[in-house]
Amino acid sequence: MEIPKYVYLFEEADGTNKKLLGGKGAGLAEMTRMGLSVPPGFIVTTEACLHYNENKKNLPQGLMEEAQENLKTVEEKTGKKFGSSQNPLFFSVRSGAAISMPGMMDTILNLGLNDGTLEGLIQITSDGRFAFDAYRRFIQLFGKIALGVGEKEFDKILNKTKEKVRAKEDTDLDVDHLKDICHQYLALVKKRTGNPFPEDPMVQLRLAIEAVFRSWMGKRAVDYRKEFNITPEMANGTAVNVCTMVFGNMGFDSATGVAFTRDPGTGENVLYGEYLVNAQGEDVVAGIRTPKPIQEMKKEMPKIYRELERVRKNLEEHFHEVQDFEFTVEKGTLYILQTRNGKMNAQAIVRTSKEMVAEKLIDKEKAVLRLKPQELEQLLHQRIDPNFKGKPIAVGLPASPGAASGKAIFDADEAERVGKLGHKVILVREETKPEDIHGFFASEGILTSRGGRLPMPPWWQEAWGSLVSRDVKSYESIQKGERQLLEMFMSRKEILSPSMARGARFTWERSLP
Amino acid sequence: MGEVPTVEPEISKNLLTLLIWADEIRTLGVRANADTPESATKARQLGAEGIGLCRTERMFNAVDRLPIVREMILAGSREKRAEAIAKLLPLQKGDFKEIFTAMKGLPVTIRLLDPPLHEFLPSAEELASELRNLKNLEVALDSMENISEALKYLDPSSRESLKLIEHTVTEITEIKEKKLDKKLIRKQQETLRKVKEMMEVNPMLGHRGVRLGITYPEIYRMQIQATLEAAAELMKEGLDIQPEIMVPQVCTAQELKWVCELVKKVQKEVEKKYGVKIQFKFGTMIEVVRACMRAGRLAEVADFFSFGTNDLTQATFSFSREDAENKFLPLYNQRKILQDNPFEVLDVKGVGRLMMITIEWGRRTKPDLKIGICGEHGGHPESVEFSHSIGLSYVSCSVPRLPIARLAAAHAKLKEKDKKPPEKYDPDDALSIFF
Repeated sequence: MEIPKYVYLFEEADGTNKKLLGGKGAGLAEMTRMGLSVPPGFIVTTEACLHYNENKKNLPQGLMEEAQENLKTVEEKTGKKFGSSQNPLFFSVRSGAAISMPGMMDTILNLGLNDGTLEGLIQITSDGRFAFDAYRRFIQLFGKIALGVGEKEFDKILNKTKEKVRAKEDTDLDVDHLKDICHQYLALVKKRTGNPFPEDPMVQLRLAIEAVFRSWMGKRAVDYRKEFNITPEMANGTAVNVCTMVFGNMGFDSATGVAFTRDPGTGENVLYGEYLVNAQGEDVVAGIRTPKPIQEMKKEMPKIYRELERVRKNLEEHFHEVQDFEFTVEKGTLYILQTRNGKMNAQAIVRTSKEMVAEKLIDKEKAVLRLKPQELEQLLHQRIDPNFKGKPIAVGLPASPGAASGKAIFDADEAERVGKLGHKVILVREETKPEDIHGFFASEGILTSRGGRLPMPPWWQEAWGSLVSRDVKSYESIQKGERQLLEMFMSRKEILSPSMARGARFTWERSLP
Repeated sequence: MGEVPTVEPEISKNLLTLLIWADEIRTLGVRANADTPESATKARQLGAEGIGLCRTERMFNAVDRLPIVREMILAGSREKRAEAIAKLLPLQKGDFKEIFTAMKGLPVTIRLLDPPLHEFLPSAEELASELRNLKNLEVALDSMENISEALKYLDPSSRESLKLIEHTVTEITEIKEKKLDKKLIRKQQETLRKVKEMMEVNPMLGHRGVRLGITYPEIYRMQIQATLEAAAELMKEGLDIQPEIMVPQVCTAQELKWVCELVKKVQKEVEKKYGVKIQFKFGTMIEVVRACMRAGRLAEVADFFSFGTNDLTQATFSFSREDAENKFLPLYNQRKILQDNPFEVLDVKGVGRLMMITIEWGRRTKPDLKIGICGEHGGHPESVEFSHSIGLSYVSCSVPRLPIARLAAAHAKLKEKDKKPPEKYDPDDALSIFF
């Protein structure tokens, strides 16, 4: 009997088979074949996920051996070794289904770190601070996703330490602070799970794969599939992408970011995106630090910027579609970590459709098909009367066009409850978190106080017609205000509240246009 | 507390280009539901290829028309009714002329009066309460008349207001003498009686549509005359006018034939009066289950069919929409007894099948039978796609949804290539009914 193949190297996988490899895996495979700079790695297929969930959460027999073989190839390519304290190899483990279900599934970074490999990382980088920071992130992520330790408990430790040493941002913590945090984290894991944190990298890999597979049946993922009518014919199970870690936080010649091959807000044919120097992907995704617009890279990292422009062209010529890609610069080398069809608002779809036909990237039929009738409804949304003269109580950055109004609700559960009663709701949150997704579905619009205009957490780009305005500086003041009673109006740029406008206690400032 | 005013969106140049490409691709026609010249003009701008549904009752509801419409309904005799109808005729003709002009060169489907007449009348409760007030007024007037005696004993300082009171009393006496109060009360009582008389247990299944047209032939006659005269006058001006007369609530071919005879009679009169030959089409709504079953015969009389999917959905499910949506439908959806609200998402498996049967039998009689859909569903992408797949000639949707329907129709055409026709009977596939 032929043993089914569950694991594929990026270069051997068929990049057109999204159903087997997931969208992310297929993209990585395609990009590897195109010759773009993708860190080596392999994909565990969606079939393995189905097997796992159908067989009482047991991985297919021989899967880990298959993974180990592929891992060897990766080791040869990178010249690094998984679990070695001399020259350690680390992985990112990310989920990816056939249909993009961004943010619904979990991601683990820095897999392979333990007390031994940590030493190796410190030696190679000569940067203890960076290594301990990576370790701390890994324990937290792995602890949360694979071992089920509450994220808030980790945050409590982190925040307490930050308070103690008067650090404003994570970057203000020094190596000793981070070392201390790591020890507290490890103790927390032992206390909560009854076992020490798993040191064996292969065990870590297995647990991570299982965690990703489990997340397919998690509440967030199931809710999302239900909301968007994603049937098993469209996406069945998630793949796991095991990719060599590259570090965007190895100093000031390192960076991480996300970019669109065209502006997803307007459709303009320019590289569009944001990046952070000396940062790891999750800093961008979580919106913890506010990133810089990619155009600033022209001055700061001109060589990388030119490479990105080339990548932009290559990707579009290959996929015949606007791409949304993630990249990391590790000590001056650019890596592309992911690409997928860019989610855009309707206005941008319309413009890119027309221009891509002119550029002969697509034909008229494809151009028409790109705009979904449901998305066209977005364009036919009402806008605020331009003649209306009201004083906004706060100003933010728009994440989609249109206007919405409703009761301001400050909690996702409450938003869901009130929304189901048939009231119009604007969900007001500090930032957009996947945990709040049920509240988004029930809301007319979403307002957050943090994050850039680029709909940064990738799952965000799904833009389900709800309207979003971000980076509103006076969130705090609204919160102190008349909470539930506040009838609010949100527009492209402004929150207008006739009833609140007279209140002098609301300070508002204009942020970037 | 309130909302900020909003404005209608504009269609950008880029979107226009894309929609024109969509028009080049699609084969399904796209028309609009429009009842006023303004919305007809707007519909044209948004790419409508005609009006698929012009509801004449909307014109009856205008502030200046409603009293005449009520006069027509409440008329005690045929002559009185004819008087009211004669007043309505030029108004309705004027409306049609404006709409035809806005849509010149394109078909306009005029639907004859559909709703039950009591919809144009105040409710019995309203009338009863007004009647009570009038009777109170009568009593008050009686007491006021007797007030003059009491005035003599007024405090001198209050005499200032005496003039005013005396004046009022004089006026009241005048009202009494003219018996204005009594007249008002009598009129109100009469209206109330009539309203009670017209009350129906189940008005949506009652005296409405073509049933009304046959029992009060003057009304349909007036509407047909207004339509054809409007067309004749514009044709004489050299305009290309394509009127279509559509009969609502038809359930038997006999009904349709009856109206058809009336139309022919009026046509002759109008053609004689204006000395022109009027080209128009005559068709029926398909919104009653029996009409679906009798499609073969109806097609002998009708030039076109138009599905009214809202009523057809109500009839197929035996749901009244309002009761369903307010009472049990949400729970049905929640428990997945029904996947969707059939009034929002066309029920392809049930209503869709009926439509398929109707199309099949209708076109067996008349292969080139034009068939459209003018229900609310007509503007929803999934329903547009379904309409294309079952071979409808056009969808008619609300004006703002026109761009969506045009795009959805193009998508339907493009996706058709990937779809194979059913090869065997499938209980869920409307397209496989004839296996």
